[in-house]
Amino acid sequence: MNKLLPFIMAGDPSLAALPQLLAEAKALGIEALEIGLPHSDPIADGPVLQAAAHRAIQRGATPLRVLEMLAGLTESPDLILFTYLNPLLQIGADRLLDLLWPTPVKALLVVDLPDSEEAEFEAKLRTAGFPMIPLLSPTTDIERAKGLLERRPDPGPGHPFAQRFAYVVARLGVTGTGDTTDLAPVRERVAALKAISDRPLAVGFGLSDSAAMAEVRAMGATPVIGSALVQALANGGGLVDILRSRMNG
Amino acid sequence: MHATEFLLPTRFGTGGLGGCYAPETLMQPLLDLEEAFRMALDDPSFRVELKSELRHFVGRPTPLTSATRLAAKFGLQGLFLKREDLTHTGAHKINNAMAQALLARRMGKSEIIAETGAGQHGVAAAAACARLGLKCTVYMGVTDMARQAPNVARMRLFGTKVVPVEAGQGTLKEAVNEALRAWAARCDKAHYILGSALGPHPFPTMVRTFQTVIGEEARAQMLEQTVSLPDAVIACAGGGSNGLGLLVPFLGDDLHRFAVEAGGHGSALGEHAARLDGGRLGVLHGCKTLLLQDQHGHTAETASISAGLDYPALGPELAALALDGKIEVLRASDAQALEAAQWLCESEGILPALESSHALALLPELAKRGFATVLLGLSGRGDKDLSTYQSKLGI
Ligand SMILES: Cc1ncc(COP(=O)(O)O)c(C=O)c1O
Repeated sequence: MNKLLPFIMAGDPSLAALPQLLAEAKALGIEALEIGLPHSDPIADGPVLQAAAHRAIQRGATPLRVLEMLAGLTESPDLILFTYLNPLLQIGADRLLDLLWPTPVKALLVVDLPDSEEAEFEAKLRTAGFPMIPLLSPTTDIERAKGLLERRPDPGPGHPFAQRFAYVVARLGVTGTGDTTDLAPVRERVAALKAISDRPLAVGFGLSDSAAMAEVRAMGATPVIGSALVQALANGGGLVDILRSRMNG
Repeated sequence: MHATEFLLPTRFGTGGLGGCYAPETLMQPLLDLEEAFRMALDDPSFRVELKSELRHFVGRPTPLTSATRLAAKFGLQGLFLKREDLTHTGAHKINNAMAQALLARRMGKSEIIAETGAGQHGVAAAAACARLGLKCTVYMGVTDMARQAPNVARMRLFGTKVVPVEAGQGTLKEAVNEALRAWAARCDKAHYILGSALGPHPFPTMVRTFQTVIGEEARAQMLEQTVSLPDAVIACAGGGSNGLGLLVPFLGDDLHRFAVEAGGHGSALGEHAARLDGGRLGVLHGCKTLLLQDQHGHTAETASISAGLDYPALGPELAALALDGKIEVLRASDAQALEAAQWLCESEGILPALESSHALALLPELAKRGFATVLLGLSGRGDKDLSTYQSKLGI
């Protein structure tokens, strides 16, 4: 099982540092990593990722520059492009595909795109091998979850984790470190989802310490570390140091 | 309650604007909200309750005032003002805020979240919540808190918690961001009263539905007072709630419909909030619409002397009606709006909100185009803008 799914914001601390960070993650044994494409209005993000997005934008991490920076990288985990719809919509599906081909991006997670809203755009990306990762939140009941998992299907065991998993949102609200998230209800939801699907699950939003990571692994799911990692990197921490301690247990 | 799909149309016009581009956490709350809205509209007791609140608390129907001296100034035959400034709390926003607060109570929600720009929607939500005994939290950009300070005090007097939003330009866009985040965190207990015809479905439809009382009254009052309809109907447009509220009931009539955006202080991106000329289709705050944005799909900065019009997206239904040629969208600059406010003060003894002054500013243009009688939506009163008028006009 995949032990840890880290999230980093492209362009923070800097765009130039990105290839090195990805190479370190890969060397550490990280199989897949979410890479945030900074957006001006991240409505599902808490203060840490908002600030990181704004710093990244100020430093010139435009969608095109980020994707160009990723082009040709081989020393990288599989990437999931984590963003909001509008920047992608402005690029357009055809051009976006041209930009994605040479990168390690394997899938997309677009926070404000329900599967009904841009069916043509989404189908084009999926057919070309870039599926959208389904999000399942505390407000998603099991019937709705079934529908979401069907409409954004698992491409199957022959495909990498990055294209197969479903993202379980641990708590109501936005990304962030904040208060410790109560994981008891998450355990129940993960169990219920495992009863209806064989798909790998990742759990994120509000997880930061090693104990929480271990608890999620004990549920048979992959923990996501986002805000805590982004904050530590912004404070000058090293990726390897921050991740190593959270990969075991 | 547990709706599984939307039953009302979610898209507007030939371009299919609108939609529901919401994070998954908000999807079930939005589905449930649409269901509650549909059921309420079908329930005679809700309609009676709303009508009674609009009459006895809000003060509807609002008057239609014939502004003869101002009409004469521009050579118009007739000018009629729909007086939303005379509602309780001083702007059309209360029509929607009261209706949604009643809806929230029906849904068993005990808390209300709202955003505000000019503060009029915040004050309206605060007043409705005080009256219905609901806990209310309003998100407001720090720039807007400074320029609309009297409204901050009014909200606080009504027992509402006003949360300053520091991000970005500290205006309405950031307030909506923060309100959406807060709603995602508390959607099990709270209802979000969005203040304009914006956001994910069902908000644009719901807000427009609760605002069309403006145009329905005005249409009947025009017929009663003049035995005919006007040649042109005009309103200002931030997100578009007073504009749609006034204009939609006239869509079937053979007359001209205008909405006026904030021209700010220039025509470069960042100097105005004129979305029709300056915007491209994009997605912000849950809907696809005309959006001021840079080439990367990041939302652009905006500028307007009027906090209520200072927003980068035009509401999706109004944008669709504009693109389909049913409503003409014009713009008025900061300076034009300030001058127009003085016209109304001096000719009619009415102090308009800076937002409404943008519609007034186009009166000479309408006269020049040959319209004889004009119906104008006076969306709010200008008490909240006194300090801006004082400093800009040197009085
Ligand atoms: C008096 C007044 N008019 C107009 C507006 C603009 O909003 P809308 O376009 O939704 O009517 C506002 C918003 O705050 C307002 O306070």
